[in-house]
Amino acid sequence: MTRILALAMLALVACGNPPPGDAGKILRDGATAMAGVRTVSATLKLTKGVVSIKGFTLVSARTAVRMPTDSDTVYTVKQQDVSFALEIVIAGGHVYEHIPFTPFREVTGAEAKAFPDMAKLFDATTGLPAIIPAGTATKYVASEQLDGKQVDHVSTQYTPEQVRGLLAYLSSSGPVTANLWVRSSDQFIPKAVLAGAFGDGGKDAAVEVDITNFNGTVSITSPAP
Amino acid sequence: MSRRPLLLGLAGAGLFVAALDAYVVVTLLPAMSGDVGITIENFEQATPIVTGFLAGYVVAMPLLGAYSDARGRIPVYVVCLAAFALGSVVTATSGLWSFAQLPWLVAGRFLQGLGGGGLVPLSLALAADLYRDRSRAVALGSVAGLQEAGSVLGPIYGATVTAAAAGLGGWRFVFWLNIPLSLLCGAGLLAAGRRQDAGAPTTSAIDWLSALLLGLGLGALVFALYPDDPEHRAVNALFVPIGAFAVVLLGAYTWRQVRRLEPLIPRVLLRSPAFLGATAANVLIGAALIVTLVDVPIVGRLVFNLEALDSGLLLTQFLIGVPVGAVAGGLIASRIGNRITAIAGMAVSAAAFLQMSSWTANELDLHAGPLRQADLGLAVCGLGFGLVIAPLTAGVLALTCGQSHGLATGLVVLARTMGMLVGLSTLTAFGLYRFHQILGTPVLNDTDLRERVKHLERLVAAAFLQEYREIFIIAAALCAAALLVIALSLRPARTSGGT
Repeated sequence: MTRILALAMLALVACGNPPPGDAGKILRDGATAMAGVRTVSATLKLTKGVVSIKGFTLVSARTAVRMPTDSDTVYTVKQQDVSFALEIVIAGGHVYEHIPFTPFREVTGAEAKAFPDMAKLFDATTGLPAIIPAGTATKYVASEQLDGKQVDHVSTQYTPEQVRGLLAYLSSSGPVTANLWVRSSDQFIPKAVLAGAFGDGGKDAAVEVDITNFNGTVSITSPAP
Repeated sequence: MSRRPLLLGLAGAGLFVAALDAYVVVTLLPAMSGDVGITIENFEQATPIVTGFLAGYVVAMPLLGAYSDARGRIPVYVVCLAAFALGSVVTATSGLWSFAQLPWLVAGRFLQGLGGGGLVPLSLALAADLYRDRSRAVALGSVAGLQEAGSVLGPIYGATVTAAAAGLGGWRFVFWLNIPLSLLCGAGLLAAGRRQDAGAPTTSAIDWLSALLLGLGLGALVFALYPDDPEHRAVNALFVPIGAFAVVLLGAYTWRQVRRLEPLIPRVLLRSPAFLGATAANVLIGAALIVTLVDVPIVGRLVFNLEALDSGLLLTQFLIGVPVGAVAGGLIASRIGNRITAIAGMAVSAAAFLQMSSWTANELDLHAGPLRQADLGLAVCGLGFGLVIAPLTAGVLALTCGQSHGLATGLVVLARTMGMLVGLSTLTAFGLYRFHQILGTPVLNDTDLRERVKHLERLVAAAFLQEYREIFIIAAALCAAALLVIALSLRPARTSGGT
């Protein structure tokens, strides 16, 4: 789950508004724009393969992030074919977990650290903005319309080491291909599709990420009593 | 060679396929609802996936028979089949795109129900058109039997096809399969019916006002019963105003139908205690029947931790009991009469539900000789329902002349389907409310997330078990009420002839 979101976030920070075709600059400008994000919301849907988290199969996730430390992420997972939502709130340095039908519960220590910190993924120096421009085989695909706005579609590729550099426990057995859509107006990245061998057992998997609410209002409430 | 058997066979086959889909979702519900974003904590949102079909079914059933008088049985039948196939496509594609979520799925199920429901009166009317005298009763009985068989076989059909087609889309394959089957039946009917006499044209048309009253009334009723906040209340916050609105609409529909049906059904029949009693009993039976069809597979999944196919197989014991009971019911009724046989059937089912209300989490480990107690209970329950179906239908048919047999049989099915629709909505509302009451807000202190989830699963299973035990008691009460209605309304002696 973490690795999927991290991979997704890789795709968030890229690209720009130069003459169509200059994919490298689009990628760099996109990374710069995403480095300036203070709040953001994102949804992720697994479109191919199987990715399991602690024995649960990830279906989708949605997160709200408020830099520099807070996030509220709801993972929809499946056990057999029954779906349930697992919510992780990180606020004020505390980590809270919500399992259906139960109250929020603070988790600490190693277990708390095992949950992905979505806010860190947007850190300008160590997170995605730093990694995104390092993609290779970057290509300009097309100028397109997405949700009524002009976007530049760019494809690029990341090595397993680059991915692991972002989050140490991410493991892909091969390169990860990213397709990114970068808004021409503000260089934010509203959509990314990632494909690579990051599924269970190193098998192929693909995710689609939709990012909204750049620097908008997000509601992250600490469940602390 | 006569084309009549071919025409009736094709029409019956189409009806059977549509009837299968009425409850096909029961064993597929967790997978289907998960694919449109419904999680276990919001499971009440999955209810319209079942009730949507039933609502379409109930709306279409009383309307399209008359319309086909003017337009011809086969053209209207093919249109209904096309609607059913289109609804199947919509259902099968649910969850594939961001816009195709729960409303898309419910719309698909409603469309399926509209098409499938229309096939019931059309098949019955076609049977009545094709056959005369004694063979007509056989034809009508065959059509009604196919409809009943499809309904009860649906859950196991869905689970089996899904398991077999795991690599071909899983549950979606069940609905994709409807397309070639519908095409086959529709094309066959068009080809075989080309030389069929169209009959004298009439001025019948769809009674749109009735359709509107019934559709809105049922929609309002289902909405009033929809548990929007099951943690705090059993029914919708707007239960009183919306429920009252539903009563007014359905009352207006009934009043209009009573007037419109007069030329078809003699006034004396509509005032007949036996007819009204049989109708009321069928509503109660439908409500009790849906408990088994929907809740047993869910108990299998969530309490006994069975796979989809195994939960469907658990229901098979019940499904075997129904036809065995139906045959036995016909034989017994011919000797001791419809009333006693139907009463006995309801008593048997009530007793079985009472036994099921004492089920435990390890019920499947308990045996009576070589057989599991749960299987025996379900088989006996099905036997009881089988015993009552034939005598009640025969009781209604005995009150009508041959020309009204199709309509009378359709009314029996309609009453039962109405009972299923209202029963499912009501019991889902009650069940979810009780589930939240029983479960409460557990605090889990296990050291690992996985362990906490496992702990929760055990608590949820226990709460579901308690909830369903109570629902089985309610089902027993419904059977007892049906028994009482039958005892008070059906003729004590064996019925025969027509009016």
